[in-house]
Amino acid sequence: MEVVKVEHVSRVFGEVMAVNDLTLTLNAGEVMGFLGTNGAGKTTTIKMLLGLIKPTEGTVSVMGGDPSDPQARARIGYMPEIAYYYPYLNARELLDFYGGICGLDKKTIRSRADVLLEKVGLADAAKRPLKTYSKGMLQRAGIAQALLNDPDLLVLDEPFTGLDPLARIHFRELMKELRAAGKSIFFSSHELGETELLCDKVAIMKKGHCFYQGPVKQLTGEGEKNLERLFLDVLEKGEVK
Amino acid sequence: MKTFCLQMRALVKLSFLELWRRNDIFGLLILGLALMVPLSMASPFGSEGASRYLDEMALLLIWGFSLFIALGTGSRLFPPEFESRTIFPLLAKPISRGRLLFGKYLGAVAATWSALLFFYLLFVGSNLLRGGALSMELFQAVVLHLAFAAFAVSVSLLGSLLVTPSANLTLSAGLLTSMFFFGRKLPSYAETLSGALSALVKVFYAVGPHAEFFDMRQRLIHGWGAVEFNVIAVVLAYAAAYTLVCLTLASFVLKRKRV
Repeated sequence: MEVVKVEHVSRVFGEVMAVNDLTLTLNAGEVMGFLGTNGAGKTTTIKMLLGLIKPTEGTVSVMGGDPSDPQARARIGYMPEIAYYYPYLNARELLDFYGGICGLDKKTIRSRADVLLEKVGLADAAKRPLKTYSKGMLQRAGIAQALLNDPDLLVLDEPFTGLDPLARIHFRELMKELRAAGKSIFFSSHELGETELLCDKVAIMKKGHCFYQGPVKQLTGEGEKNLERLFLDVLEKGEVK
Repeated sequence: MKTFCLQMRALVKLSFLELWRRNDIFGLLILGLALMVPLSMASPFGSEGASRYLDEMALLLIWGFSLFIALGTGSRLFPPEFESRTIFPLLAKPISRGRLLFGKYLGAVAATWSALLFFYLLFVGSNLLRGGALSMELFQAVVLHLAFAAFAVSVSLLGSLLVTPSANLTLSAGLLTSMFFFGRKLPSYAETLSGALSALVKVFYAVGPHAEFFDMRQRLIHGWGAVEFNVIAVVLAYAAAYTLVCLTLASFVLKRKRV
């Protein structure tokens, strides 16, 4: 089943073509890494997947529906690259708030929040105001809120940003666990090592164009090359050697 | 419907938590204390006129504070969400922009009303202690003031999506305050002008937010008695219609706002 289907999508902002004729698919249970330099069109694509902006041309379908429809977003979890969550709330209240927005009842929120706070390592800091959190802790709170509605598709924008090495390992394990549970994950990243370890397939973007899309193993030739080398090939020459 | 109620509850609760945690509540208490000054000086010379004057001062303070709180809460519903980038995870949840706007509006109105009722509680309590009694005009004044607060929140909410926060506060406060004090004089003022200027003032009078419609201070202070209920109904309908227009426009702007 295609969880994400992007067909010939372009997005223009004034004179700037942020995304140009992008086509990609993500099937159920797959993990896709979305790579590219700054300004490659990664965040714009993610915003289109979430229905935050509409494509100028082409169609985007997520979980079989139009992402601008709130019902289609009920099965999506999203974590932004940076978000300074409400500083006057604590992590538990943050999950309580987002759970309410997802239409979850109190009992469900409480039980899921307990599990998630433990999973992201914030159980001990759950009652501390978010304004006292470090960047990495805010990122972990962001992961928890993204998982609160038990989504089938996770869309993560630079999830490794701000995480310390230990949190990074924990997050990697969490993503593997989610993949094993049959969740689909779409994430943008600059962390090529992490992407290679986690992804079934990758898409490499440069200046709005997708230069490569396919399985990681096919791209790296079963270990002959690493993703970093190939990524540089794409960026420098616009093609994979 | 259940989802709608859960979403509204979450948004209203967020507004109250913000009011409480951002120490706005202390601001409210300080304003309450400021209000108590004229109220505690009731009839200092045993004169009814002086007592009325102090009541007038207290009511004017309540109006000023409520305007300040309504505009403050309304204007910070969305700009901080964009600034702190929490608008992204929020809009990625299964909630439409229109519903999000309505929920946030409800939260701001609920928070403003709680502050307003707190001020009126002080006012009524002090009045009762001075031997005053509860009256129909007092009830009407409170109802109209609550309607005004809801109406003012919608004006500043719309402004917050169109201009910068400081410009919004200046414009909304300027507009509502000038209408509050000079609104009723605009038609006669328009008659003194000629040509395009007169037409401009008349148009402004027709579309401007008539804060003065909600003001029953003089009636309360001088004991002129209650207003006919159909008049109250018309003013409430005006508030509802104006609020609806502001919220519809705000929803339109938010739906088209680039995030």
